[in-house]
Amino acid sequence: MLHEFAIADTCFLIDWARYRRRDILFKLFKTVFVPEAVLREVVSENTISWISRWLAKGGLALYTEDPSEIEEARKLVEKSRRIPHIIPVDLPEALCLIIGKRRNYIVLTENRGALMAVDFLEEVNNVTVWRSLEILVKAIEKEILSIDCNDPEKILKEYMNDTLHIFPRRDYNRVVRWMHELCQRRK
Amino acid sequence: MSAEKMSKKIQKWIELEEEAKRIRRVMADWNFIEKQPPRIKEALKYYVEKGDIRRASLLAGMNVEEFRELLRKAKIPVIV
Amino acid sequence: MPAGNPLTKEDIEEAKKIRKAMADWNFIEKQPPRIKEALKYYIETGDMYVASRIANLTIEEFNEIRIKARIPNVA
Repeated sequence: MLHEFAIADTCFLIDWARYRRRDILFKLFKTVFVPEAVLREVVSENTISWISRWLAKGGLALYTEDPSEIEEARKLVEKSRRIPHIIPVDLPEALCLIIGKRRNYIVLTENRGALMAVDFLEEVNNVTVWRSLEILVKAIEKEILSIDCNDPEKILKEYMNDTLHIFPRRDYNRVVRWMHELCQRRK
Repeated sequence: MSAEKMSKKIQKWIELEEEAKRIRRVMADWNFIEKQPPRIKEALKYYVEKGDIRRASLLAGMNVEEFRELLRKAKIPVIV
Repeated sequence: MPAGNPLTKEDIEEAKKIRKAMADWNFIEKQPPRIKEALKYYIETGDMYVASRIANLTIEEFNEIRIKARIPNVA
């Protein structure tokens, strides 16, 4: 187990739940929390079924937000709206960032507003945010996922095909280079 | 944050957004998009341009997950 | 008054077995996704609060559905 706790937002869950190897998440984290505000937004049978199954098993746990967290999240939303050119962060994502900050959880998100907030806003710039890309990299590092050195990109392509989620070119190339180096070292 | 640092960060995100927009425009199924009811069509077009799923789903009058499914049907990728 | 016996793993398993056996699975399978998953979760765990959150219902509303699904609240 790499980390104890993470907290997942809607944008992360609705993509991750479609990934064929989605259960590797529970080899990386002891518990992944799902705020009630996020759970309310899930509608598809596939996602809700996966979430409720893992709530029952304990890999996922419901997080009941308290009023002070909600208030701090609202302030973050307001502050993000004052910065020009950036996508503002919305309440469910802001909540995850605030909870991540307060409780030192890794925040799992695919939301641009959340990623920009961490980059621009001092209140949350120490929060560790992982996208699915970072999860896949950690899973490879920890040998939870194995690279096929004949086709190292296969792991990334599987995720992208399952979810119709593309990784930005710079990040994708950086990870592919790293995987090639890993394969070289293993020879 | 200094003005210079802010400006560099904004520039970085603008470049990322431009690349993402190009990919969304190329990959989108424009036949599918054009056949949608006006509100949905505009929301999809907005998403292609801006990559902001929350605003786009509000425009569509849909929940985020429902809109995400619609993006898949329209072959518009999320690029993050 | 003597304290009650602490809950054992066997008690928890017994309660789950009872909920599974008595549930009206026809009724459960016909429910919309969130309600169905919430009922299944409740059968597994007996946790009404989280089940009600999955269903997007109040606890009282979920309890009504639990009764319709014939799932006992096993004390």
